[in-house]
Amino acid sequence: MNEDISRLMDGELDDDGAVDRTLAGLRQDGAMATWMCYHVIGDTLRGDVAASARLSGRIAAALADEPTVLAPQRRVDRPATWAWAMAASVAAVAVVGWTAVSLTDGPASTVALAREAASVRADSLRPQVIPAEYLLAHREMSPTTPIQGLGPIQRVSVTGDAALAR
Amino acid sequence: MQRGFPAMRRAFASAVATAVLALALPAAAQDGAALLGRAADAARTLNYTGTIAYQRAAGVETARLIHVNDGGEEFEKLYNLDGPAREVIRSNGEVRCYYPDAKVVRVEPRTFRNAFPSLSPQQQSSLAQYYTVRKGGVGRVAGLEAQAWTFEPKDGLRYGHELWTDPTTGMLLKARMLNERGEVVEQIAFLDIVLGAKLGPEAAKPTWPVSPPDWQVRRPRTGKLVEADTGWVVAKLPPGYAKVSEGRLGGRGGKSDGAAQLVFSDGMVAVSVFIDRRGGTQRHVGRARQGSLNQFSVKQDDYVITALGEVPPDAVQAIATSVTRR
Repeated sequence: MNEDISRLMDGELDDDGAVDRTLAGLRQDGAMATWMCYHVIGDTLRGDVAASARLSGRIAAALADEPTVLAPQRRVDRPATWAWAMAASVAAVAVVGWTAVSLTDGPASTVALAREAASVRADSLRPQVIPAEYLLAHREMSPTTPIQGLGPIQRVSVTGDAALAR
Repeated sequence: MQRGFPAMRRAFASAVATAVLALALPAAAQDGAALLGRAADAARTLNYTGTIAYQRAAGVETARLIHVNDGGEEFEKLYNLDGPAREVIRSNGEVRCYYPDAKVVRVEPRTFRNAFPSLSPQQQSSLAQYYTVRKGGVGRVAGLEAQAWTFEPKDGLRYGHELWTDPTTGMLLKARMLNERGEVVEQIAFLDIVLGAKLGPEAAKPTWPVSPPDWQVRRPRTGKLVEADTGWVVAKLPPGYAKVSEGRLGGRGGKSDGAAQLVFSDGMVAVSVFIDRRGGTQRHVGRARQGSLNQFSVKQDDYVITALGEVPPDAVQAIATSVTRR
């Protein structure tokens, strides 16, 4: 299944039947997480963080539309290998993190969580964030906060948890 | 505050510049520059309380803002109304951020106010040259009749801005940034506001003691920008941007051995360039984005160069990739 997902992503599934089967498979077995994981890894490796962010938005929307993906009604009878279980959980963390990022735009907890997942290349999954230190130094000099209180609100959300995590 | 004299000099320079420009610039551009100055003054000098909505890509955050000017001294309290509780208190030249869930107070030894000098003549003319300023219609914002303004960029190196101000006080009630497709990248507005309220400093007191006994007090790693010649230049600065500041971020204990920072502005927004040793604050290269803020980082020899500003991705990339030693 994972291989099919990979081939689907790379556009190598030329048989319509295989495409349909793989897409149907995405609805089961946590395969969605694998698919997300591949995308996040791919985007991150290509340095296309924006794509990852867009993707997380799409995924968030998809998850909102399809709650069954998050809560499958029957247990998986084919156990995933530990590596994929780990990758999937990291992908979920990344996506949850990205969703949080897209909601609050804060670096939030993704970085810390991704670091904890030691057996996966956390580096490749870490989203690019604007360092709080730079952000504050920039804000100090920026004329774009003519509603004077509006600078801090961004700091509240942006530097909040990242600053604390240090 | 150590900035008395330069501030006065700047204010004087700005007054002269305004007088000179009044003769040279088209009316709308004059209005544009005056509008920004008036909005900044109103936000500083008035008392007000209001609810703010701040919107980026996917989400909206709301916060309550209380601003008090007590005989020239400012006090401000801002707390969010959704998500984990956060409170920002601005007074006495510092900003304290309270994180009650973590029992942490973070103290910033800066005010995030007045640090940006008044628009220089060059910036005012940039404003006129690179934005088409138009006075729009009158609409309602936060229950008040508000005057709309648009700053439409003339090239792809800046965002468009739409502003709504209170005609009586000049207070900015709503601001929007738009990308080249006219999509809102960031929007901030008062949902309600009381202008000119009778308030004393106690209205902006923190919910908790200034330093609650069992809380941790954290101070940032780097300090203010210490002005200095950094030896770095941006070889291909996009048109309309001019340098407004250059120096190093202070390290611990007042040492100025931190990253170099150069700040450029076109009068409307600013772009900061940070030059840091490898292994410093920024370890990644490429693009990043938060609301209207775009960032681009690139490695050069032993340094990581980052450009950051409220401008489109292409502008920060162009700036970051043309930084060089003088």
